[in-house]
Amino acid sequence: MLTRRSNQRGGRNAMHFVLNGRTAAIPESMADDRLLWVLRDHLALNGPKYGCGVGVCGACVVHVDGVAERACLLTAKDIEGREVTTLEGLGSGAAGGLHPVQQAWIDAGVPQCGYCQNGQVMTAAALLNANPLAPRADIAAAMDSVVCRCGTQRRIAAAIDLAQQMLRVRT
Amino acid sequence: MAISRRSLLKGFGWATAGLVVTAGGGYGVSRRLALPYRGMPTAQDASAWLRLTPEGVIEIMMPRAELGQGIAISFRQVVAEETGFPLDRIRAIQPRTDLLPPARATVGSDSVKDFAPLLASAAAALAVVLKRAGVVDGIPPPVGFRVLATAPRLIDAAAVREAIPVSLKAGPKRIVGTAEPTDAIRAIVTGDAPLFADDIRLPGMVFGAVLRSPRLGAVLSEVDDAKVRALPGYLGLRRVGERALVAAESRGALERALAALVPKWSGGLSDDADIAALIDVDRGLSTGALEHVARNAHFAPGEAFADLRLDVPMAAHACMEPRTAVARFDEAGRLEVWTGTQDVTFIRAALAQELGLSRDLVTVIGCRVGGGFGGKTLCMVELEAALLARAFGRSVKVQWTRLDEFREAFHRPPSSHRIRASLATDGTPDGWHHAFRSGHVMFTSAAMGPVLQFATSFFGDPGVLRGAIPPYAAARQRVEFEDVRLPVHTGPWRGLGAGPNIWAMETMVDHLARLKGEDPLAFRRRIIAPQWPRLRRALDRVAALAGWSALQSTPERGYGIACGVYKEMSYAAVIAEVTRVGEQMRVTKLWCAHDCGLMLNPGQVQAQVEGNLVWGIGMALFEDLTLAEGTVAQTSFADYAVPRFSDVPEMIIALIDEGEAPTGAAETAIVAAAPAITNAIAAMTGKPVLRLPWRADRAA
Repeated sequence: MLTRRSNQRGGRNAMHFVLNGRTAAIPESMADDRLLWVLRDHLALNGPKYGCGVGVCGACVVHVDGVAERACLLTAKDIEGREVTTLEGLGSGAAGGLHPVQQAWIDAGVPQCGYCQNGQVMTAAALLNANPLAPRADIAAAMDSVVCRCGTQRRIAAAIDLAQQMLRVRT
Repeated sequence: MAISRRSLLKGFGWATAGLVVTAGGGYGVSRRLALPYRGMPTAQDASAWLRLTPEGVIEIMMPRAELGQGIAISFRQVVAEETGFPLDRIRAIQPRTDLLPPARATVGSDSVKDFAPLLASAAAALAVVLKRAGVVDGIPPPVGFRVLATAPRLIDAAAVREAIPVSLKAGPKRIVGTAEPTDAIRAIVTGDAPLFADDIRLPGMVFGAVLRSPRLGAVLSEVDDAKVRALPGYLGLRRVGERALVAAESRGALERALAALVPKWSGGLSDDADIAALIDVDRGLSTGALEHVARNAHFAPGEAFADLRLDVPMAAHACMEPRTAVARFDEAGRLEVWTGTQDVTFIRAALAQELGLSRDLVTVIGCRVGGGFGGKTLCMVELEAALLARAFGRSVKVQWTRLDEFREAFHRPPSSHRIRASLATDGTPDGWHHAFRSGHVMFTSAAMGPVLQFATSFFGDPGVLRGAIPPYAAARQRVEFEDVRLPVHTGPWRGLGAGPNIWAMETMVDHLARLKGEDPLAFRRRIIAPQWPRLRRALDRVAALAGWSALQSTPERGYGIACGVYKEMSYAAVIAEVTRVGEQMRVTKLWCAHDCGLMLNPGQVQAQVEGNLVWGIGMALFEDLTLAEGTVAQTSFADYAVPRFSDVPEMIIALIDEGEAPTGAAETAIVAAAPAITNAIAAMTGKPVLRLPWRADRAA
């Protein structure tokens, strides 16, 4: 796919990856920066959040080639030439611009403070994209990896049930 | 003396009115306190909370911060109810000092109780104004909204007199009382709009940090940045007072610089700091009465029918959003700060004081708060961002790391409790003695220099005392306590003293019932004092919900019950089912009856109850913050456990609303949840849980 090439707009070399379906450029100087900082600061995205910086809270989850990954543990060069989806791009192409998991999150009224919900939504969406019929044990294993301090866990469970129903109706 | 003068402390935010104290020393946070007086909000304040835009949108200048408790949507519902405007044309603006009169901190679960009635009155007055102008149900008048919106004064005195607010009255309503989802829910699940302080991006903004000491209270003695000056993006190091400030063009460059700097520190907390000894209640009692006596009956230890020593550790707020602030100075020297805080008014005052600016040169703009729980109430990251912005002449964002959150913030204080009870011949308690020692809650050293610490030492810390007066009838009550200065910052944590105090009390009540061979529900019903009929009602409701009389505890599965009153206004009763799984205990079901009177939004109240129950699980089984090697031992969610998805069971909740006035929901159910869980363990083992959190290796 895409490899290093000269940045069209300037003299500096840039790295490229696909972000939410479009090619995005990162200056070579950010090669060793955490993907989280690249997304938040260079590309001005609000979805992925800093929660711990060591991969144990899940607030920064993005999809890399469809798999849930922690943006705080990846560097810019780790994703060169790969496809990254953030919360902002999750619902593109879906009805109302919302992935069924996002719609279910609204219908179940999941968020309280909302800060961790990027990680909750992206983790659940990666799981259900891979297996809409994911059994409870898989759901628990996936969702145990994302911390919510407000106490929305039961609403998350209810929203995942709802999303599975929506996906079942659709297939 | 202390308690008899408690009236002086009414309306207490973080200190008594108008105190300004400057003191040196300390670490990490503003040690000067400069609080403008903030009493109860007034009707005049409330008329300033509402604005109308020329496009016909009503804006609420929120006097309370949205922290996830659902106050923004609840206030929008009140304004919709009163004005007939649709919800999507009513906008909630987070508190900001340029648009809002000085407001109390968003603490104490009193947003609905103290603010909603005034908001309803102001909105009803606005409805009168709108009706006069020919606006019905939000439909614009032929001339549009511009004339109204640009009037010098939107709400006039005649409109206030004529207004008849309905939101908080019993009876049918259109919008108030419905379970609308939280404000900004679409932005939360799509990321399509900035909400939090970290979503603020200013032109030319750089990133900053303060060097952190490896030990609490250590002082920076030397730092040399010669080796990092060549790092791309590094902007330099500035010493300002006791702080060393570092800035860089990007967060990546900042992290690389911080990793390469090798500062030298001196002093600080010793390795063997023993806070358990400092808060040992028995050590205090061995020399006579404790310093503050809230109930002063005589009680001799020899009279005790039961006598328990109970211990509660430190706990962290562990908000998912680490403290974050963005600061900018303009050419005229005016300072703007964006931050997720529970208290914009205090932040502005503290920044003005620390930076030597007049308050009108400082604007604090509140962002949605990613969890507060009492933790985001002081001026910490905001001051750091402002100092960096001034030192480097740039707009600066500072975001605490998770490690900073554990080491630099303040925590729920540890406490130890001694409870003794004696019983009359009919089995009701006739003597109750609760003595406890705790770190500070409201008189936190995180906000007070030595002078104010001395001044407040004559008062009992009301946050430490909260919840300690039992709702049970006992002819002779003795409640005494000491608040102890600890070498680690402590302060308010969800429920303040009520969490630990009611846990200790409910453990004892359960223990008494067990010793008497009496059902713990029947025992509580029998001994609740007559002034708490709503507590009894909550107990009855939860017992019916769970089918208490049919629940049988075994060594493998236990059922526990507990109840509590929060701030003499809200009531909760909880039943917990706990199941033994190998060496561990798991909460496998929770029932809760909750009474905060009239609900503006039962969905948000329910969410608060759910959150409180989850915090109860954390308090009972997980949370334990400790010191090691002179600082907080825990560094992330890997070693500070909070309940995760699989730890949270089905929760069956009954919300009681039988026409009583609204109170508060954000800190109520936790007081009953933790003891219900430990009482369920006691029902399995036959022995009370004496130390939080329960752990297999501590069980006798």
